[in-house]
Amino acid sequence: MRGTFLAAAIFIALGVIAQGFWFPADARISLEKCTLCHGKPEFRKILVDGKIRDLFATADSLKGSVHEKKTCVDCHFDVSEIPHRQRPQRVTCTHCHYKGNAEGAPQSDAYLEYFGSVHGNAIAGGNTKAPLCQDCHGNHSIRKTKDPTSEVSRGNVAETCGRCHIEIYAVYKTSIHGVAVSQGIPEAPSCTGCHGEHKIYAHKDPKSTVFATHVAAQCSTCHGSVSIMSKYGIEAEQVTTYQNSFHGVASGFGSRTVANCASCHGVHDIRPSEDPRSMVNPKNIPATCGKCHPGANPNFAVGKMHVDSHSKESGIIYYTAQFFKYLTIGTMLALIAHIFLDMYGRTRRLRGDK
Amino acid sequence: MGEEPRSPVTVERMSVLFRVQHILLMVSLLVLAVTGFALMFHDNWLAAAVIRLEGGVLYRGIIHRSAAVFLMAQLVYHAFYMLCSREGKRELREVWLTRRDFDDFFLAMRFNLGMDSKYPRFGRYGYKEKFQYWGATTGVFLISVTGIILWAETFSMRYLPKVVLDLTLIVHGYQGLLAFVILLFWHLYIVHLHPSVFPMNRAWLTGRVDAEWLRQEHPAEYEKLKGEGVI
Repeated sequence: MRGTFLAAAIFIALGVIAQGFWFPADARISLEKCTLCHGKPEFRKILVDGKIRDLFATADSLKGSVHEKKTCVDCHFDVSEIPHRQRPQRVTCTHCHYKGNAEGAPQSDAYLEYFGSVHGNAIAGGNTKAPLCQDCHGNHSIRKTKDPTSEVSRGNVAETCGRCHIEIYAVYKTSIHGVAVSQGIPEAPSCTGCHGEHKIYAHKDPKSTVFATHVAAQCSTCHGSVSIMSKYGIEAEQVTTYQNSFHGVASGFGSRTVANCASCHGVHDIRPSEDPRSMVNPKNIPATCGKCHPGANPNFAVGKMHVDSHSKESGIIYYTAQFFKYLTIGTMLALIAHIFLDMYGRTRRLRGDK
Repeated sequence: MGEEPRSPVTVERMSVLFRVQHILLMVSLLVLAVTGFALMFHDNWLAAAVIRLEGGVLYRGIIHRSAAVFLMAQLVYHAFYMLCSREGKRELREVWLTRRDFDDFFLAMRFNLGMDSKYPRFGRYGYKEKFQYWGATTGVFLISVTGIILWAETFSMRYLPKVVLDLTLIVHGYQGLLAFVILLFWHLYIVHLHPSVFPMNRAWLTGRVDAEWLRQEHPAEYEKLKGEGVI
């Protein structure tokens, strides 16, 4: 009996040692073990709020993604027991994506800007609905931005943002920019084009790219570029004409109440002025201008709004400005001429006086 | 010339009331010029600095319009004063533009160019003073009209075509620039650089000028005062 017990003890001890010899200290769980459960398509969990959490993941889940060569525990590193005694934590991307990491995982300061963003702050404030990296970039199917199938590619990012920002997405989708993106126009802005990528701030935050005093500059990154606008037959002078208008000057000097591009053209619902739903359609001009100028009437829509007095195309405005310019210069020269002429004449007069 | 001993006899050329009007006019025009040109040339760093100094575009506008209201009030007061008061009526007769002033101007130009041997004999006000006075008065009136159109922007946009507002903005700015240029150069000459008054004719502060200066520059007025026994 005693001998049997000893033998059993030695056997168990050897087994433990052997296990320690064959597997490294941080016991790695092989893919096969994970897929024992996670490989079943019906493997899912019903959460307390009634939502279904799909837990199906196989070797194919990572195929084509940037993490193709990784295994489950590379990211789910807190999983060491099967079945999991504790619920596995959400994956922390910064486990690898930090500066100087040994894995060679891409890293830039842009990623860190997330932590100061409206999303990063919401997470830090305990909002469990706020997005982490994987909510936008995808879980297993993370692909490079340039890859059209990526969740954050130009064509897909609006839909990705729209998973949470549903109403804005619905409005944006039918706007001139939304339509242009879906048509594959490469310069057309998706959400990130105006709001930024990782450093997205609330529009009331002065750091935001779409803060009242930053809107004009943000729109002008494309609309001020003749090389982009000329491709689509859009005038690029709208930017300078705005900047030289009362609205633009006030905005340039920090006024937050004065009209910026979005005040008149809309935010997510920007449409060409021919569109009857456009805020700058002549029919809607009284209402649009009336937001700030109570009493605006249809006469507000008469005439061209963005006028450049330095451009010959402005006709009478240009020629009036030119006339006054030369009139002023001419007057100045005539006055100076008169001064010298009169002084010269005076010396003659005084000589005659004597 | 400067070295000649001047007669200590002086005569009044600007009454206290006119000196006060002149100084108030000067102050409001300067405020309007500084605030107005800052907006007109907002791209310029100095203009930007001025706008910031004035507390931003909102306060720039408030200061500009306050000075404008003050200026318009002065214009109305001045019109009434010139038309109704005894001193005003007398001055208005003196400063009234006549055919002779234009003749004087051309005669002076011909003389200065050496094409004529006679120089006009000016009365109390020569063409230099008169042109400036009427130029400034009509200028203030016209710039007030364009300024009010721009001030009442919602009203103007309701009833005027947009192109009229665009033109008004251009005209208002250039009217101001033109008035500023004329006042600057004309004053620079007849109050400062003119050899008979250099470095400054102090009549706008003291109200008085030397009788000798009057004899040289406004001989007709000198003789008239002499005839009246003032000198």
